[in-house]
Amino acid sequence: MNIHPLAKAYRMRTSAILAFLLTLGVPAGASAQQKVSRHFPAGKTVRLELKNLSGTITVETWAREEIKITATMEAPTARFNPRQTDVGLVIDVVSDNRGRNDVGDINFKVQVPARSSVDLETRRGQITVSNIQGDLVRAHISTEGNIELSGINAARVFASNTIGDIYFDGEFASGGTYEFKSGRGVITLRIPANCGFRLVATAPAEKISMGQFWHKGMRLLGDGRKITGDVGDGRASVTVTNYQGNINFLRR
Amino acid sequence: MNCEKYQDLLSDFVDGSLPQTDQDSIETHLSVCGDCAEARNDLEAIVGFCREHRGEYDPVPNERALWLRISNTIESELSAPSPASIPPGAGWWFRLMNRSWELSFPQLAAAVTAIIIVVSVVTTVGLRRFSFSGAGSGVQTSGAPLALNGSSVQDRFRQQQQVVAYWNQRVELNKARWNPQMRETFDRNMSVIDAAVNDSMSRLTQNPHDEVSEEILNAALNDKVELLKEFADL
Repeated sequence: MNIHPLAKAYRMRTSAILAFLLTLGVPAGASAQQKVSRHFPAGKTVRLELKNLSGTITVETWAREEIKITATMEAPTARFNPRQTDVGLVIDVVSDNRGRNDVGDINFKVQVPARSSVDLETRRGQITVSNIQGDLVRAHISTEGNIELSGINAARVFASNTIGDIYFDGEFASGGTYEFKSGRGVITLRIPANCGFRLVATAPAEKISMGQFWHKGMRLLGDGRKITGDVGDGRASVTVTNYQGNINFLRR
Repeated sequence: MNCEKYQDLLSDFVDGSLPQTDQDSIETHLSVCGDCAEARNDLEAIVGFCREHRGEYDPVPNERALWLRISNTIESELSAPSPASIPPGAGWWFRLMNRSWELSFPQLAAAVTAIIIVVSVVTTVGLRRFSFSGAGSGVQTSGAPLALNGSSVQDRFRQQQQVVAYWNQRVELNKARWNPQMRETFDRNMSVIDAAVNDSMSRLTQNPHDEVSEEILNAALNDKVELLKEFADL
């Protein structure tokens, strides 16, 4: 097929413009999100405190004695300045960005030694913690976001949000304290059958499902809106509150 | 010279014991100043009366003693409250308010210390009544039942509502600055907590002794204040 020279020139010019736009567009899209990675030396036991404004927080464990922080920042103006302390690492995005208006989401992925304690807070966004074997796991979302804690073996676990599900898969250590609280969502606790704990579970609007952990010695209060009682040796203290959602106990 | 100075010299002027220059000066002033001229007329009338009736009265035997008695009487009336000012049948409040208070430094210090202690105790008790804090752990759990401390659920609810109203006001001041997404997030989450508060209140209206609802109401109001506090600074 013969192509008119003018049409050929027009097509070539269009292709060149498209190629130019693509060359400009790809880096522009990539540079909108800033990704930062930093490593910090740590001992076997370390405490991580992370206070985020908005965005996800994912904490995983690894075999190294160091902490790796990877942050993906939506806004180029967002800042975070990790501060090393005697016991670990503190990241306070709220303080670091005081006075800046739209910081946007900052998504954190943190890798820590398994025997770490983690204290995580965000205003909005999911928190995921896995395989922590330290003293403390605290996950607090002041508004909305799911909390997923899996493979946890810590003496103190606190998880709370206003809107969102809370999932805990771990063990209740003897003498430990475990508190879970949601405004609206489903709270699911998946624990081994041999866990011993003293339970106070309150769900005024929905159902409390004890599954195989139910026994006749437990007390039902307020038409079943609250359940108290010991499971096993009752050595751990477990408090679960859900204003507008179910509470489910599952056996591992 | 002003009128005050002229009137100081009037007595000597009436007696004619001033130098001629001063006499002339005062004469000139009296011709133009009505007040001073009137004072001069009064003084002349008194002096004239005394001159006319000279010798009609016996002199006082001890003039100095008389003046001392007069002086003492005036001073005592000035320093002590007049018994006539407090009527015999006056109440304790009237006597208290009309009493002159003189405190030594230790008495004053003790009074100030007592006031500070009373104010501190009242403030602490007030703050404790407002706070429904949990066990200081990571998650705020329900506090004491609302019917404790001798106050009804409604009273406690009303008190907590005052705290909520204060923080609500602060949030409303800042709300205009928020982006639409943040506003929606706040409203959505607040509605969840409000639903828990309203549900508990309606259950408590039906059954005032429902402990589960009391606990949930307590916890939900705490959560509401916490959420308001967090958003009040944004």
